[in-house]
Amino acid sequence: MNVLRYFRLRSPWYGRLEVLAAVALLTHLLVVWAIPYVIMAALSMSRPAEERGAGPLFPPMTDASQRRVVMPSPDLLYATCAFDVRQRPLRIQADPKLPGYWSIALYAANSDNFFVLNDRQAAGAPVDLVLVGPGTPATGALPAGAKGVTAPGGRGLLLMRVLVGDYAVEREAVEAARRTLRCTPLN
Amino acid sequence: MAPEDELNPAFRPHWYGVLALYLAALTVGAGSAWLAVRSQLDSGGVMAGVWRTSTLAGSSDADIYTRAVIAVGALLALNRDETMYYVATTDSKGRALRSRCRYRISGPAPDARWWSVTAYAEDRFLFPNAERRYSLNGGTAPLDARGHFAFESGPTPPAGNPPAAPWLPTPGDRGLSFTLRLYNPAAGLAAAPASLAAPVIERLGGCE
Repeated sequence: MNVLRYFRLRSPWYGRLEVLAAVALLTHLLVVWAIPYVIMAALSMSRPAEERGAGPLFPPMTDASQRRVVMPSPDLLYATCAFDVRQRPLRIQADPKLPGYWSIALYAANSDNFFVLNDRQAAGAPVDLVLVGPGTPATGALPAGAKGVTAPGGRGLLLMRVLVGDYAVEREAVEAARRTLRCTPLN
Repeated sequence: MAPEDELNPAFRPHWYGVLALYLAALTVGAGSAWLAVRSQLDSGGVMAGVWRTSTLAGSSDADIYTRAVIAVGALLALNRDETMYYVATTDSKGRALRSRCRYRISGPAPDARWWSVTAYAEDRFLFPNAERRYSLNGGTAPLDARGHFAFESGPTPPAGNPPAAPWLPTPGDRGLSFTLRLYNPAAGLAAAPASLAAPVIERLGGCE
């Protein structure tokens, strides 16, 4: 154990094995913890610059050219909004009039799915949500008919899913449905 | 002589030696983190036949490892009351799936509002194919009199005209996995993911 002895006897504190091991362990935990945040942040930032801040993103119907998110579902049409409710609440509205499945899911910056609303739960009524974070400044009463949702943090991602059986046939209906999504910061 | 006597009070490591040691510590920490996450990508969770499902996908109950694994392997998963995801990486005899092989996937229609089976290559993206067909689902897979579905995957269509079964194209010779998605699964299944009547994945032919 000459190496150990060297580290114990010859080195000042910053050269000791215990300190190096602690640095390695902390780095390990920090990287594991940070992976979801980094991937989510990269996803939120990855839309073309000219579209940033311009409301929801409506990517084309999923096919083999989609390489933005792993394991994309080829049976779903998506719409996304990256949100930041640290300064202002976000009003989320949609009215997809479809007979099939759709859902609106909210993900925290660490990728936790903290809220989901599907067509059955909406029961035909338009979606009207006001999203706030733990530190969002109060803005008074909710708009009439809106439901409040609290995010665990200030930033995250909204993902709307619309089930598509045959895109060529259903295109008009499903495109219209997902384009009812609005993500508007509340003043 | 006591070991302490060997200490040379004037000894100080060179700064670049210290830097190298700390860079090595950072590399070990970060590298082991990445390896830990990669190694759990297709492990853990609950099995139903050869189909594996994470019971914590999308859940805020997930620990930092589970969350990282899901972010890398299945980002933006829904929680299991909304959707359950089952992934198969082997056939029903335990052999790793390859896209050049032909498989017959069959079983009872899952107890969910809507379901689909999608083929993914080893990079977790879809197989490019001229038919632009990436999945079979409750709407497209015909059911027999018992309520069972059956389809074939492989680089070429099934034999017969019309083909004996619906075809999911998996061109090339690549790694392959199937993902079974259940949207709005039955409550009993969401509570007990291992109780899924798991589809059978049968390799057809010798897989030349």
